[in-house]
Amino acid sequence: MTDTIADEQVPAAATSPRRATTSASDAVGADLLAGIAAWPLWAMLGWNDIRLRYRRSVLGPFWMTLSMAIFVVTLGFIYSRIFKMDIRTYLPFLALGFILWGFVSTTLNESGGAFLEGDRIIKQIRVPFSAFVFRVVWRNFIVLLHTIVLIVPIWIIFGMTPGLNSLLVVPGVALVYLNLAWAGIVVAILSTRFRDIPLIVATALQVTMFATPIMWPVSSLGDYTLIADANPFFHLIELVRAPLLGNAPAPLSWTVAIGLALVGPVFAALLMRRASRRIVYWL
Amino acid sequence: MTIIRLTNVSVDIPVYSVGSSSIRKVVLGRAIGGRFGQAAGHVIVKALKDISFEAQNGDRIGLVGNNGSGKTTLLRVLADVYAPTSGTVEVNGQVSPMFDATLGMNHDATGLENIRICGMLWGLTREELDASLDDIAEFSELGDYLKMPVRTYSAGMQLRLAFAIATLRKPDIFLLDEIIGVGDANFFQKAFARLEGLVRRSRILFVASHTKPIIQRICNKAIWLHNGTLVAYGEVGEVLEAYSSGDARLAQVAAA
Repeated sequence: MTDTIADEQVPAAATSPRRATTSASDAVGADLLAGIAAWPLWAMLGWNDIRLRYRRSVLGPFWMTLSMAIFVVTLGFIYSRIFKMDIRTYLPFLALGFILWGFVSTTLNESGGAFLEGDRIIKQIRVPFSAFVFRVVWRNFIVLLHTIVLIVPIWIIFGMTPGLNSLLVVPGVALVYLNLAWAGIVVAILSTRFRDIPLIVATALQVTMFATPIMWPVSSLGDYTLIADANPFFHLIELVRAPLLGNAPAPLSWTVAIGLALVGPVFAALLMRRASRRIVYWL
Repeated sequence: MTIIRLTNVSVDIPVYSVGSSSIRKVVLGRAIGGRFGQAAGHVIVKALKDISFEAQNGDRIGLVGNNGSGKTTLLRVLADVYAPTSGTVEVNGQVSPMFDATLGMNHDATGLENIRICGMLWGLTREELDASLDDIAEFSELGDYLKMPVRTYSAGMQLRLAFAIATLRKPDIFLLDEIIGVGDANFFQKAFARLEGLVRRSRILFVASHTKPIIQRICNKAIWLHNGTLVAYGEVGEVLEAYSSGDARLAQVAAA
Protein backbone atom coordinates (compact mmCIF):
# COMPACT_ATOMS: atom_id res chain seq x y z
CA MET A 1 0.00 0.00 0.00
CA THR A 2 3.02 2.27 -0.30
CA ASP A 3 1.52 3.86 -3.39
CA THR A 4 -1.32 5.39 -1.41
CA ILE A 5 0.92 7.07 1.13
CA ALA A 6 1.21 10.11 -1.12
CA ASP A 7 -2.52 10.60 -0.66
CA GLU A 8 -1.96 11.26 2.99
CA GLN A 9 -0.27 14.52 2.18
CA VAL A 10 -3.42 15.83 0.55
CA PRO A 11 -5.40 17.87 3.06
CA ALA A 12 -8.79 16.41 3.83
CA ALA A 13 -10.61 19.45 2.55
CA ALA A 14 -9.15 18.98 -0.93
CA THR A 15 -10.54 15.49 -1.28
CA SER A 16 -14.23 14.88 -1.28
CA PRO A 17 -15.48 12.62 1.49
CA ARG A 18 -15.52 9.25 -0.16
CA ARG A 19 -14.35 5.77 0.33
CA ALA A 20 -12.14 3.81 -1.96
CA THR A 21 -14.50 0.88 -2.27
CA THR A 22 -17.54 2.87 -3.34
CA SER A 23 -16.11 5.98 -4.91
CA ALA A 24 -18.24 5.19 -7.97
CA SER A 25 -21.38 5.92 -5.94
CA ASP A 26 -20.79 9.63 -6.46
CA ALA A 27 -21.23 9.39 -10.22
CA VAL A 28 -24.58 10.29 -11.74
CA GLY A 29 -26.72 7.21 -12.15
CA ALA A 30 -24.42 4.99 -10.09
CA ASP A 31 -27.09 4.21 -7.52
CA LEU A 32 -29.64 3.42 -10.21
CA LEU A 33 -27.30 1.08 -12.05
CA ALA A 34 -26.28 -0.62 -8.82
CA GLY A 35 -29.97 -0.88 -7.97
CA ILE A 36 -30.72 -2.63 -11.24
CA ALA A 37 -27.79 -4.98 -10.66
CA ALA A 38 -29.26 -5.85 -7.25
CA TRP A 39 -32.34 -7.34 -8.93
CA PRO A 40 -32.17 -10.72 -7.18
CA LEU A 41 -32.63 -8.90 -3.90
CA TRP A 42 -35.53 -6.62 -4.82
CA ALA A 43 -37.23 -9.27 -6.89
CA MET A 44 -37.15 -11.57 -3.87
CA LEU A 45 -38.32 -8.86 -1.45
CA GLY A 46 -41.15 -7.75 -3.73
CA TRP A 47 -42.29 -11.30 -4.33
CA ASN A 48 -42.27 -11.99 -0.60
CA ASP A 49 -44.33 -8.86 0.06
CA ILE A 50 -47.06 -10.29 -2.14
CA ARG A 51 -46.86 -13.82 -0.76
CA LEU A 52 -46.98 -12.69 2.83
CA ARG A 53 -49.88 -10.34 2.15
CA TYR A 54 -52.07 -13.25 1.07
CA ARG A 55 -50.65 -15.93 3.34
CA ARG A 56 -53.27 -18.23 4.88
CA SER A 57 -56.02 -17.04 2.57
CA VAL A 58 -57.56 -19.73 0.37
CA LEU A 59 -57.47 -17.78 -2.88
CA GLY A 60 -54.15 -16.16 -2.12
CA PRO A 61 -53.08 -13.52 -4.62
CA PHE A 62 -56.09 -14.37 -6.74
CA TRP A 63 -58.12 -12.29 -4.33
CA MET A 64 -56.73 -9.40 -6.34
CA THR A 65 -58.20 -10.91 -9.49
CA LEU A 66 -61.54 -11.64 -7.89
CA SER A 67 -62.01 -8.30 -6.19
CA MET A 68 -61.06 -6.44 -9.35
CA ALA A 69 -63.53 -8.59 -11.32
CA ILE A 70 -66.38 -7.82 -8.93
CA PHE A 71 -65.51 -4.14 -8.91
CA VAL A 72 -65.29 -3.82 -12.66
CA VAL A 73 -68.47 -5.77 -13.41
CA THR A 74 -70.51 -3.79 -10.89
CA LEU A 75 -69.20 -0.42 -12.02
CA GLY A 76 -69.39 -1.46 -15.68
CA PHE A 77 -73.09 -2.22 -15.40
CA ILE A 78 -74.02 0.90 -13.47
CA TYR A 79 -71.84 3.42 -15.28
CA SER A 80 -72.70 2.16 -18.74
CA ARG A 81 -76.31 3.02 -17.80
CA ILE A 82 -75.32 6.43 -16.39
CA PHE A 83 -73.21 7.36 -19.40
CA LYS A 84 -75.72 5.64 -21.72
CA MET A 85 -72.99 3.61 -23.37
CA ASP A 86 -72.93 0.14 -24.81
CA ILE A 87 -71.65 -2.17 -22.11
CA ARG A 88 -69.72 -4.15 -24.73
CA THR A 89 -67.43 -1.20 -25.36
CA TYR A 90 -67.66 0.43 -21.94
CA LEU A 91 -66.89 -2.47 -19.63
CA PRO A 92 -63.60 -3.54 -21.30
CA PHE A 93 -62.53 0.13 -21.43
CA LEU A 94 -63.36 0.67 -17.76
CA ALA A 95 -61.76 -2.60 -16.65
CA LEU A 96 -58.43 -1.90 -18.33
CA GLY A 97 -58.42 1.73 -17.24
CA PHE A 98 -59.01 0.78 -13.65
CA ILE A 99 -56.49 -2.03 -13.60
CA LEU A 100 -53.78 0.22 -15.02
CA TRP A 101 -54.68 3.13 -12.82
CA GLY A 102 -54.35 0.80 -9.86
CA PHE A 103 -50.84 -0.12 -11.00
CA VAL A 104 -49.79 3.49 -11.56
CA SER A 105 -51.33 5.06 -8.46
CA THR A 106 -50.50 2.30 -5.97
CA THR A 107 -46.91 2.21 -7.18
CA LEU A 108 -46.49 5.96 -6.78
CA ASN A 109 -48.24 5.99 -3.42
CA GLU A 110 -46.18 3.12 -2.06
CA SER A 111 -42.96 4.60 -3.43
CA GLY A 112 -43.32 7.35 -0.86
CA GLY A 113 -42.66 4.79 1.85
CA ALA A 114 -40.05 2.77 -0.02
CA PHE A 115 -37.08 3.92 2.08
CA LEU A 116 -39.01 3.98 5.34
CA GLU A 117 -40.05 0.40 4.67
CA GLY A 118 -36.40 -0.55 4.31
CA ASP A 119 -35.00 1.58 7.11
CA ARG A 120 -33.73 -1.34 9.18
CA ILE A 121 -31.82 -2.58 6.16
CA ILE A 122 -30.60 0.86 5.12
CA LYS A 123 -29.20 1.52 8.60
CA GLN A 124 -27.23 -1.68 8.63
CA ILE A 125 -26.00 -2.65 5.19
CA ARG A 126 -25.19 -0.74 2.04
CA VAL A 127 -27.85 -1.51 -0.53
CA PRO A 128 -28.47 0.81 -3.49
CA PHE A 129 -31.38 3.05 -2.52
CA SER A 130 -33.11 2.63 -5.86
CA ALA A 131 -33.44 -1.09 -5.11
CA PHE A 132 -36.12 -0.27 -2.50
CA VAL A 133 -38.14 1.57 -5.13
CA PHE A 134 -37.64 -1.22 -7.65
CA ARG A 135 -39.05 -3.58 -5.05
CA VAL A 136 -42.22 -1.46 -4.85
CA VAL A 137 -42.62 -1.26 -8.63
CA TRP A 138 -41.97 -4.96 -9.00
CA ARG A 139 -44.49 -6.05 -6.38
CA ASN A 140 -47.13 -3.83 -7.95
CA PHE A 141 -46.27 -5.28 -11.33
CA ILE A 142 -47.02 -8.70 -9.85
CA VAL A 143 -50.38 -7.32 -8.74
CA LEU A 144 -50.94 -6.00 -12.27
CA LEU A 145 -50.27 -9.43 -13.74
CA HIS A 146 -52.93 -10.87 -11.43
CA THR A 147 -55.55 -8.35 -12.50
CA ILE A 148 -54.74 -7.78 -16.17
CA VAL A 149 -55.57 -11.44 -16.90
CA LEU A 150 -59.22 -10.39 -16.55
CA ILE A 151 -58.96 -9.14 -20.13
CA VAL A 152 -59.05 -12.73 -21.37
CA PRO A 153 -62.55 -13.55 -20.04
CA ILE A 154 -63.63 -10.07 -21.18
CA TRP A 155 -62.45 -10.81 -24.72
CA ILE A 156 -64.31 -14.13 -24.66
CA ILE A 157 -67.55 -12.82 -23.14
CA PHE A 158 -67.80 -9.84 -25.47
CA GLY A 159 -66.50 -11.74 -28.50
CA MET A 160 -63.61 -9.38 -29.07
CA THR A 161 -60.65 -10.14 -31.34
CA PRO A 162 -57.90 -7.68 -30.44
CA GLY A 163 -55.70 -8.76 -33.37
CA LEU A 164 -52.09 -7.87 -34.01
CA ASN A 165 -52.36 -4.46 -32.35
CA SER A 166 -52.51 -6.27 -29.02
CA LEU A 167 -48.81 -7.08 -29.38
CA LEU A 168 -48.11 -3.38 -28.83
CA VAL A 169 -48.96 -4.05 -25.19
CA VAL A 170 -45.41 -5.30 -24.65
CA PRO A 171 -43.58 -2.02 -25.41
CA GLY A 172 -46.51 -0.23 -23.78
CA VAL A 173 -46.14 -2.02 -20.45
CA ALA A 174 -42.37 -1.62 -20.61
CA LEU A 175 -42.71 2.15 -21.00
CA VAL A 176 -45.19 2.39 -18.13
CA TYR A 177 -42.88 0.33 -15.94
CA LEU A 178 -39.86 2.46 -16.78
CA ASN A 179 -41.70 5.70 -16.11
CA LEU A 180 -43.01 4.44 -12.79
CA ALA A 181 -39.52 3.39 -11.76
CA TRP A 182 -37.99 6.84 -12.18
CA ALA A 183 -41.04 8.67 -10.84
CA GLY A 184 -41.03 6.29 -7.88
CA ILE A 185 -37.43 7.22 -7.10
CA VAL A 186 -38.30 10.92 -7.17
CA VAL A 187 -41.35 10.39 -4.94
CA ALA A 188 -39.37 8.19 -2.57
CA ILE A 189 -36.55 10.72 -2.10
CA LEU A 190 -38.85 13.71 -1.62
CA SER A 191 -41.24 11.79 0.64
CA THR A 192 -38.43 10.70 2.92
CA ARG A 193 -37.17 14.24 3.35
CA PHE A 194 -40.53 16.00 3.49
CA ARG A 195 -43.21 13.98 5.20
CA ASP A 196 -45.98 16.03 3.59
CA ILE A 197 -45.11 14.73 0.13
CA PRO A 198 -46.78 11.31 0.46
CA LEU A 199 -49.97 13.06 1.52
CA ILE A 200 -49.73 15.50 -1.37
CA VAL A 201 -49.10 12.64 -3.79
CA ALA A 202 -52.09 10.71 -2.46
CA THR A 203 -54.37 13.71 -2.83
CA ALA A 204 -53.07 14.57 -6.27
CA LEU A 205 -53.52 11.01 -7.49
CA GLN A 206 -57.06 10.89 -6.15
CA VAL A 207 -57.99 14.00 -8.10
CA THR A 208 -56.09 12.83 -11.17
CA MET A 209 -58.09 9.63 -11.29
CA PHE A 210 -61.27 11.58 -11.95
CA ALA A 211 -59.53 13.95 -14.35
CA THR A 212 -58.11 11.10 -16.44
CA PRO A 213 -60.20 9.19 -19.00
CA ILE A 214 -60.62 6.02 -16.97
CA MET A 215 -64.30 5.97 -16.12
CA TRP A 216 -65.26 8.19 -19.05
CA PRO A 217 -64.07 8.07 -22.67
CA VAL A 218 -61.99 10.83 -24.26
CA SER A 219 -64.79 11.41 -26.78
CA SER A 220 -67.00 12.77 -24.00
CA LEU A 221 -64.62 15.72 -23.68
CA GLY A 222 -65.83 17.06 -27.04
CA ASP A 223 -63.66 20.02 -27.97
CA TYR A 224 -61.71 19.83 -24.76
CA THR A 225 -59.47 16.86 -25.58
CA LEU A 226 -56.56 18.94 -24.36
CA ILE A 227 -57.59 17.86 -20.87
CA ALA A 228 -56.60 14.32 -21.82
CA ASP A 229 -53.72 15.17 -24.13
CA ALA A 230 -51.94 17.28 -21.53
CA ASN A 231 -52.24 14.49 -18.96
CA PRO A 232 -49.25 12.12 -18.95
CA PHE A 233 -51.25 9.57 -16.97
CA PHE A 234 -53.73 9.33 -19.84
CA HIS A 235 -50.94 8.53 -22.29
CA LEU A 236 -49.41 5.90 -20.04
CA ILE A 237 -52.75 4.18 -19.59
CA GLU A 238 -53.48 4.40 -23.31
CA LEU A 239 -50.24 2.60 -24.15
CA VAL A 240 -51.58 -0.55 -22.49
CA ARG A 241 -55.33 -0.05 -22.75
CA ALA A 242 -55.52 0.68 -26.49
CA PRO A 243 -53.58 -2.42 -27.64
CA LEU A 244 -55.65 -4.72 -25.44
CA LEU A 245 -58.82 -3.20 -26.93
CA GLY A 246 -57.38 -3.91 -30.38
CA ASN A 247 -56.30 -0.37 -31.25
CA ALA A 248 -52.92 1.19 -31.80
CA PRO A 249 -52.13 3.97 -29.29
CA ALA A 250 -51.95 7.47 -30.74
CA PRO A 251 -48.48 8.74 -31.79
CA LEU A 252 -48.82 11.46 -29.16
CA SER A 253 -49.06 8.83 -26.43
CA TRP A 254 -45.87 7.13 -27.62
CA THR A 255 -44.10 10.46 -27.88
CA VAL A 256 -45.04 11.55 -24.37
CA ALA A 257 -44.18 8.19 -22.79
CA ILE A 258 -40.86 7.84 -24.61
CA GLY A 259 -39.97 11.47 -23.92
CA LEU A 260 -40.66 11.03 -20.22
CA ALA A 261 -38.73 7.78 -20.18
CA LEU A 262 -35.71 9.58 -21.60
CA VAL A 263 -35.79 12.70 -19.44
CA GLY A 264 -37.14 11.18 -16.22
CA PRO A 265 -34.34 8.75 -15.40
CA VAL A 266 -31.77 11.53 -15.86
CA PHE A 267 -33.72 13.73 -13.46
CA ALA A 268 -34.10 10.87 -10.99
CA ALA A 269 -30.37 10.09 -11.23
CA LEU A 270 -29.40 13.72 -10.59
CA LEU A 271 -31.75 13.94 -7.62
CA MET A 272 -30.45 10.63 -6.28
CA ARG A 273 -26.87 11.84 -6.52
CA ARG A 274 -27.75 14.86 -4.43
CA ALA A 275 -29.74 12.83 -1.93
CA SER A 276 -28.05 9.45 -1.62
CA ARG A 277 -25.57 10.50 1.07
CA ARG A 278 -28.35 12.04 3.16
CA ILE A 279 -31.26 9.63 2.85
CA VAL A 280 -30.11 7.56 5.81
CA TYR A 281 -30.19 10.69 8.01
CA TRP A 282 -33.72 11.48 6.94
CA LEU A 283 -35.16 8.14 8.04
CA MET B 1 -1.05 -3.95 4.80
CA THR B 2 -3.32 -1.01 5.41
CA ILE B 3 -6.88 -1.93 4.65
CA ILE B 4 -8.78 0.81 6.36
CA ARG B 5 -7.73 4.41 6.69
CA LEU B 6 -9.89 7.13 8.16
CA THR B 7 -8.59 10.68 7.84
CA ASN B 8 -10.19 13.49 9.85
CA VAL B 9 -13.60 11.90 9.64
CA SER B 10 -16.47 13.85 11.15
CA VAL B 11 -20.11 12.88 11.08
CA ASP B 12 -22.85 15.39 11.77
CA ILE B 13 -26.23 13.79 12.14
CA PRO B 14 -29.13 16.11 11.48
CA VAL B 15 -32.08 15.38 13.72
CA TYR B 16 -35.21 16.59 12.05
CA SER B 17 -38.04 17.82 14.14
CA VAL B 18 -41.59 17.60 12.92
CA GLY B 19 -41.34 21.15 11.65
CA SER B 20 -38.28 20.82 9.48
CA SER B 21 -39.66 17.77 7.69
CA SER B 22 -42.68 19.71 6.58
CA ILE B 23 -42.64 21.67 3.38
CA ARG B 24 -44.58 24.51 4.95
CA LYS B 25 -41.70 25.40 7.23
CA VAL B 26 -39.09 25.19 4.51
CA VAL B 27 -41.12 27.20 2.04
CA LEU B 28 -41.99 29.77 4.70
CA GLY B 29 -38.34 29.91 5.70
CA ARG B 30 -37.32 30.65 2.13
CA ALA B 31 -40.10 33.16 1.64
CA ILE B 32 -39.07 35.34 4.54
CA GLY B 33 -35.44 35.37 3.67
CA GLY B 34 -34.27 32.34 5.55
CA ARG B 35 -34.46 33.93 8.99
CA PHE B 36 -36.97 31.26 9.82
CA GLY B 37 -34.48 28.72 8.57
CA GLN B 38 -32.81 28.56 11.90
CA ALA B 39 -36.00 28.18 13.88
CA ALA B 40 -37.42 25.64 11.50
CA GLY B 41 -34.05 23.99 11.02
CA HIS B 42 -32.77 20.82 12.51
CA VAL B 43 -30.56 20.10 15.45
CA ILE B 44 -27.17 18.77 14.43
CA VAL B 45 -25.54 16.15 16.56
CA LYS B 46 -21.80 15.90 16.10
CA ALA B 47 -21.59 12.14 16.37
CA LEU B 48 -17.96 11.80 15.34
CA LYS B 49 -15.31 14.51 15.48
CA ASP B 50 -12.10 14.41 13.49
CA ILE B 51 -11.42 10.70 13.71
CA SER B 52 -8.22 9.42 12.10
CA PHE B 53 -6.80 5.94 12.34
CA GLU B 54 -5.56 3.05 10.24
CA ALA B 55 -6.25 -0.63 10.47
CA GLN B 56 -3.98 -3.32 9.09
CA ASN B 57 -4.53 -6.84 8.00
CA GLY B 58 -5.13 -9.03 11.04
CA ASP B 59 -6.31 -6.25 13.33
CA ARG B 60 -9.05 -7.16 15.78
CA ILE B 61 -10.26 -3.84 17.07
CA GLY B 62 -12.58 -3.43 20.00
CA LEU B 63 -14.57 -0.21 20.29
CA VAL B 64 -15.14 0.97 23.83
CA GLY B 65 -16.84 4.03 25.24
CA ASN B 66 -19.96 5.06 27.03
CA ASN B 67 -23.41 5.04 25.51
CA GLY B 68 -23.58 7.73 22.84
CA SER B 69 -19.82 7.94 22.47
CA GLY B 70 -20.00 7.18 18.74
CA LYS B 71 -19.27 3.44 18.58
CA THR B 72 -22.27 2.59 16.45
CA THR B 73 -21.79 5.68 14.30
CA LEU B 74 -18.21 4.67 13.61
CA LEU B 75 -19.34 1.17 12.65
CA ARG B 76 -21.94 2.65 10.33
CA VAL B 77 -19.30 4.83 8.69
CA LEU B 78 -17.16 1.74 8.13
CA ALA B 79 -20.21 -0.06 6.71
CA ASP B 80 -20.75 2.83 4.25
CA VAL B 81 -24.16 3.44 5.77
CA TYR B 82 -23.24 6.89 7.03
CA ALA B 83 -21.35 9.18 4.69
CA PRO B 84 -18.87 11.34 6.59
CA THR B 85 -19.63 15.05 6.66
CA SER B 86 -15.95 15.73 6.18
CA GLY B 87 -12.79 13.69 5.92
CA THR B 88 -12.04 10.59 3.90
CA VAL B 89 -12.74 6.95 4.44
CA GLU B 90 -10.71 4.38 2.56
CA VAL B 91 -11.75 0.79 2.80
CA ASN B 92 -10.06 -1.81 0.65
CA GLY B 93 -12.19 -4.89 0.96
CA GLN B 94 -15.67 -6.22 1.36
CA VAL B 95 -17.40 -5.08 4.53
CA SER B 96 -19.83 -7.38 6.33
CA PRO B 97 -21.74 -5.64 9.09
CA MET B 98 -23.70 -7.51 11.74
CA PHE B 99 -25.36 -4.91 13.92
CA ASP B 100 -28.62 -6.77 14.29
CA ALA B 101 -28.55 -10.47 13.52
CA THR B 102 -32.31 -10.62 13.02
CA LEU B 103 -32.26 -8.24 10.04
CA GLY B 104 -34.98 -9.09 7.54
CA MET B 105 -36.57 -11.78 9.72
CA ASN B 106 -40.21 -12.04 8.79
CA HIS B 107 -42.49 -13.53 11.41
CA ASP B 108 -45.15 -14.78 9.04
CA ALA B 109 -42.69 -16.54 6.77
CA THR B 110 -41.41 -20.00 7.59
CA GLY B 111 -37.90 -20.67 8.80
CA LEU B 112 -36.90 -21.91 5.36
CA GLU B 113 -38.29 -18.81 3.67
CA ASN B 114 -36.47 -16.64 6.16
CA ILE B 115 -33.22 -18.38 5.33
CA ARG B 116 -33.71 -17.12 1.80
CA ILE B 117 -34.85 -13.61 2.77
CA CYS B 118 -32.21 -12.95 5.42
CA GLY B 119 -29.51 -14.80 3.52
CA MET B 120 -29.93 -12.69 0.42
CA LEU B 121 -29.87 -9.52 2.51
CA TRP B 122 -26.54 -10.66 3.92
CA GLY B 123 -25.31 -11.01 0.37
CA LEU B 124 -25.40 -14.79 0.10
CA THR B 125 -26.42 -16.42 -3.15
CA ARG B 126 -29.21 -18.92 -3.53
CA GLU B 127 -26.68 -21.69 -4.17
CA GLU B 128 -24.69 -20.86 -1.05
CA LEU B 129 -27.87 -20.89 1.00
CA ASP B 130 -29.07 -24.19 -0.41
CA ALA B 131 -25.69 -25.72 0.33
CA SER B 132 -25.84 -24.46 3.92
CA LEU B 133 -29.32 -25.71 4.83
CA ASP B 134 -28.00 -28.65 6.85
CA ASP B 135 -25.56 -26.43 8.68
CA ILE B 136 -28.33 -23.99 9.58
CA ALA B 137 -30.69 -26.75 10.67
CA GLU B 138 -27.99 -28.25 12.85
CA PHE B 139 -26.71 -25.05 14.43
CA SER B 140 -30.17 -23.64 15.08
CA GLU B 141 -31.39 -27.03 16.38
CA LEU B 142 -34.67 -26.32 14.60
CA GLY B 143 -34.89 -29.39 12.38
CA ASP B 144 -38.45 -29.78 11.13
CA TYR B 145 -39.48 -26.54 12.81
CA LEU B 146 -37.85 -24.81 9.83
CA LYS B 147 -41.04 -25.56 7.92
CA MET B 148 -43.10 -23.64 10.50
CA PRO B 149 -43.73 -19.88 10.49
CA VAL B 150 -41.18 -18.03 12.57
CA ARG B 151 -43.92 -16.48 14.72
CA THR B 152 -44.44 -19.90 16.30
CA TYR B 153 -40.81 -19.93 17.48
CA SER B 154 -39.65 -18.96 20.92
CA ALA B 155 -37.39 -15.92 21.17
CA GLY B 156 -34.41 -18.23 21.60
CA MET B 157 -35.29 -20.24 18.51
CA GLN B 158 -35.66 -17.07 16.44
CA LEU B 159 -32.30 -15.83 17.58
CA ARG B 160 -30.62 -19.17 16.85
CA LEU B 161 -32.01 -19.14 13.32
CA ALA B 162 -31.08 -15.51 12.65
CA PHE B 163 -27.63 -16.08 14.04
CA ALA B 164 -27.11 -19.24 12.00
CA ILE B 165 -27.92 -17.36 8.80
CA ALA B 166 -26.00 -14.17 9.59
CA THR B 167 -22.84 -16.12 10.41
CA LEU B 168 -22.80 -18.01 7.12
CA ARG B 169 -20.94 -15.15 5.52
CA LYS B 170 -17.25 -15.19 4.83
CA PRO B 171 -16.42 -11.69 5.93
CA ASP B 172 -13.42 -9.81 4.75
CA ILE B 173 -13.91 -6.91 7.12
CA PHE B 174 -16.33 -7.92 9.85
CA LEU B 175 -18.24 -5.30 11.86
CA LEU B 176 -20.03 -6.40 15.00
CA ASP B 177 -22.19 -4.31 17.27
CA GLU B 178 -22.74 -5.69 20.76
CA ILE B 179 -22.52 -9.45 20.51
CA ILE B 180 -25.73 -11.35 21.29
CA GLY B 181 -27.16 -10.57 24.66
CA VAL B 182 -30.05 -13.02 24.66
CA GLY B 183 -30.31 -16.77 24.77
CA ASP B 184 -29.32 -19.27 27.41
CA ALA B 185 -25.74 -19.85 28.52
CA ASN B 186 -25.53 -22.99 26.43
CA PHE B 187 -26.40 -21.13 23.26
CA PHE B 188 -24.08 -18.29 24.14
CA GLN B 189 -21.13 -20.71 24.26
CA LYS B 190 -22.09 -22.17 20.92
CA ALA B 191 -22.73 -18.80 19.31
CA PHE B 192 -19.50 -17.40 20.61
CA ALA B 193 -17.54 -20.34 19.23
CA ARG B 194 -19.15 -19.85 15.82
CA LEU B 195 -18.45 -16.15 15.93
CA GLU B 196 -14.82 -16.75 16.83
CA GLY B 197 -14.49 -18.97 13.77
CA LEU B 198 -15.86 -16.15 11.65
CA VAL B 199 -13.54 -13.64 13.27
CA ARG B 200 -10.56 -15.90 12.55
CA ARG B 201 -11.50 -16.11 8.88
CA SER B 202 -11.92 -12.33 8.51
CA ARG B 203 -9.01 -10.01 7.79
CA ILE B 204 -10.17 -7.21 10.05
CA LEU B 205 -12.67 -7.15 12.86
CA PHE B 206 -14.36 -4.23 14.56
CA VAL B 207 -16.48 -5.05 17.55
CA ALA B 208 -18.32 -2.58 19.75
CA SER B 209 -19.10 -3.94 23.16
CA HIS B 210 -19.66 -2.97 26.75
CA THR B 211 -18.39 -6.36 27.88
CA LYS B 212 -14.67 -5.96 28.49
CA PRO B 213 -13.90 -9.70 28.79
CA ILE B 214 -15.25 -10.23 25.27
CA ILE B 215 -13.04 -7.49 23.88
CA GLN B 216 -10.07 -8.81 25.81
CA ARG B 217 -10.66 -12.29 24.48
CA ILE B 218 -11.06 -11.58 20.77
CA CYS B 219 -9.30 -8.26 20.15
CA ASN B 220 -5.67 -7.28 19.88
CA LYS B 221 -6.34 -3.55 19.63
CA ALA B 222 -8.94 -1.17 20.96
CA ILE B 223 -10.33 2.25 20.19
CA TRP B 224 -11.72 4.34 23.00
CA LEU B 225 -14.32 6.85 21.95
CA HIS B 226 -15.70 9.60 24.12
CA ASN B 227 -18.30 12.09 22.94
CA GLY B 228 -17.42 11.37 19.33
CA THR B 229 -13.68 11.89 19.67
CA LEU B 230 -11.02 9.25 19.59
CA VAL B 231 -9.39 9.28 23.01
CA ALA B 232 -7.04 6.35 22.55
CA TYR B 233 -6.11 3.74 19.96
CA GLY B 234 -3.61 1.01 20.60
CA GLU B 235 -2.93 -2.34 22.17
CA VAL B 236 -6.08 -3.74 23.74
CA GLY B 237 -4.75 -4.09 27.30
CA GLU B 238 -3.44 -0.53 27.46
CA VAL B 239 -6.55 1.06 26.02
CA LEU B 240 -8.85 -0.92 28.29
CA GLU B 241 -6.79 0.04 31.29
CA ALA B 242 -6.83 3.70 30.30
CA TYR B 243 -10.54 3.45 29.68
CA SER B 244 -11.19 1.91 33.09
CA SER B 245 -9.18 4.53 34.95
CA GLY B 246 -9.84 7.45 32.63
CA ASP B 247 -13.50 6.74 32.52
CA ALA B 248 -13.92 7.90 36.08
CA ARG B 249 -11.90 11.03 35.42
CA LEU B 250 -13.88 11.91 32.30
CA ALA B 251 -17.11 11.22 34.10
CA GLN B 252 -16.04 13.70 36.76
CA VAL B 253 -15.21 16.29 34.13
CA ALA B 254 -18.58 15.79 32.53
CA ALA B 255 -20.34 16.13 35.87
CA ALA B 256 -18.45 19.30 36.84
